[in-house]
Amino acid sequence: MSSPSIGKKELEHLAKLSRIELDPAEEEKLIKDLDSILDHFKELQALDTSSVAPMTGGTDLVNILREDDPEKGGHENTNQGAGVDAFPASKDGYNKVPPVFE
Amino acid sequence: MEPLHDLTIKKFQDGLRDKQFSALEVTQAYFDRIKKHDPEIHAYLSLAEESAVRDASAVDVAIASDENVGALAGVPLAIKDNILIKDLPATAASKILEGYTASYDAAVIGKLRNERAVFLGKTNLDEFAMGGSTENSAFGPTHNPHDHSRVAGGSSGGSAAAVAAHFALGSLGSDTGGSIREPAAFVGVVGLKPTYGAVSRSGCIALASSLDQIGPFAKTVEDAAILFKAIAGQDPLDATSVGTADYSAIDDLEKSAPLDKIKGLTIGLPEEYFIDGLDKSIADGVNTAVEKFKSLGCHFKKISLPHTKYALSCYYIVMPAEASSNLARFDGIRYARLPGIDGSLSDLYIKTRGEGFGPEAKRRIILGTFVLSSGYYDAYYEKAQRTRTLIARDFTEAFKDVDVMLTPVTPTPAFKIGEKTADPLSMYLADIFTIPVNLAGLPGISIPVNGTASAANIGKELPVGFQLIGKKWHEADILGLGRYYEKLDQA
Repeated sequence: MSSPSIGKKELEHLAKLSRIELDPAEEEKLIKDLDSILDHFKELQALDTSSVAPMTGGTDLVNILREDDPEKGGHENTNQGAGVDAFPASKDGYNKVPPVFE
Repeated sequence: MEPLHDLTIKKFQDGLRDKQFSALEVTQAYFDRIKKHDPEIHAYLSLAEESAVRDASAVDVAIASDENVGALAGVPLAIKDNILIKDLPATAASKILEGYTASYDAAVIGKLRNERAVFLGKTNLDEFAMGGSTENSAFGPTHNPHDHSRVAGGSSGGSAAAVAAHFALGSLGSDTGGSIREPAAFVGVVGLKPTYGAVSRSGCIALASSLDQIGPFAKTVEDAAILFKAIAGQDPLDATSVGTADYSAIDDLEKSAPLDKIKGLTIGLPEEYFIDGLDKSIADGVNTAVEKFKSLGCHFKKISLPHTKYALSCYYIVMPAEASSNLARFDGIRYARLPGIDGSLSDLYIKTRGEGFGPEAKRRIILGTFVLSSGYYDAYYEKAQRTRTLIARDFTEAFKDVDVMLTPVTPTPAFKIGEKTADPLSMYLADIFTIPVNLAGLPGISIPVNGTASAANIGKELPVGFQLIGKKWHEADILGLGRYYEKLDQA
């Protein structure tokens, strides 16, 4: 059998990029699953897409800017400030986290 | 009071107005029924009894004082647990959000509050809306009301089952690759995925931002139209939402989609959707639907959507890529914290996400990270985006010759719980008929072939649904056709 599309080292790199800790059993299963999924994707290689542009989103709308004015530009029911009460750990209104530097 | 089985939103509106019952009575009847029967189904993750009773009572007070109340006043609804309702839990069926309480209302919830609808509780889903069976919920699957050994579909399994089992008069779900239409088909209710941009995504926990849409489940097409009207519309908090489509008359399908207009629609049958692997009950069901529409006087045309077979690969590259980005915010810092995680900031991230996400979420995040990573981006993600253009273009071309398309929703009826969990790819293949509609941003509705589950036919045979796909902003066409289909059964 040919080597899987994503090897152990590659998977560990992806786990690091996505900040997810995986145990060895999970790694083994993921390598197998991703191999089968990526194998399915091979069919796209045969498709000629050279004449079309990538579809970058779900809408034809073009982004515009609004005035940088919290009173004028914002929605009445803005959720500004929402979530502060939900900080899992806080001190003096600040979100408490482990030190960034060790 | 009519038994809950026979109630629809329309009947509720009439009954409330004619004082056959109060809003509070109905809400309490639903809670009684839910507490008695939902343990077998597991449609709900949490109930909102206190606020629901308060809101229903307030509607009764308003009616008693001759206040004008809107179309959805007092209507008991179930809401998928990835849609935020302020001060209620929002878990997205994930351990990583266990204990989190929403700090604001989703835009659609704000609109429903204006209508004075009543929220009974939050429903079960596949974790972060990733799945087609609700088996990926961190809190256990939802069972199909017709056969408890089978799945209710996903990812909006709880919302679909809640309507089918008469635990709510209507519900909201979200659809990224079929997550409203597939469970609707599996449990035998109506499920609508609106045109991308018709409904605001603000306050809906994002899975794939270019594909997600919130939509209604209901027992009838008419009810679905009422719910859709209430939630549609532009929202400044969702820059992709659009206000140019006029849905003001969409709840009055008699007016916006009269019979002579419906008869004049040409319905396309895309050959790529009528494959050999189709389960016999699905093929028969779709044929039944075709014959019924013919009896109405509708015309059919065979069409081709040539890039259909690439849709699955395209979707399973684009969606995980967007999901990996959208789920980066779940870091153990912002919303909820898992107990017992010590160490550095880096440890907090990797352990929270390692323990808090389930296997499917991790699989899709890793896959998404891969297709976006350096060296692979062009071959996978950009390739998929170009493929998406071709898939969308297939529809644009075909819609020059037809007005609406009719297809199966799923290749099979509801499968057994546990049947597809060993092989992720086999689960993904269940989405082949629904995914292209999201990629193209079109509206799609799933309608039960043999009428919605009522007291009479629950448990008799597994439901089969058919799908109507419309042009962008043309929900009136698919709702209109659906409504006449329903009326045939009532004739």
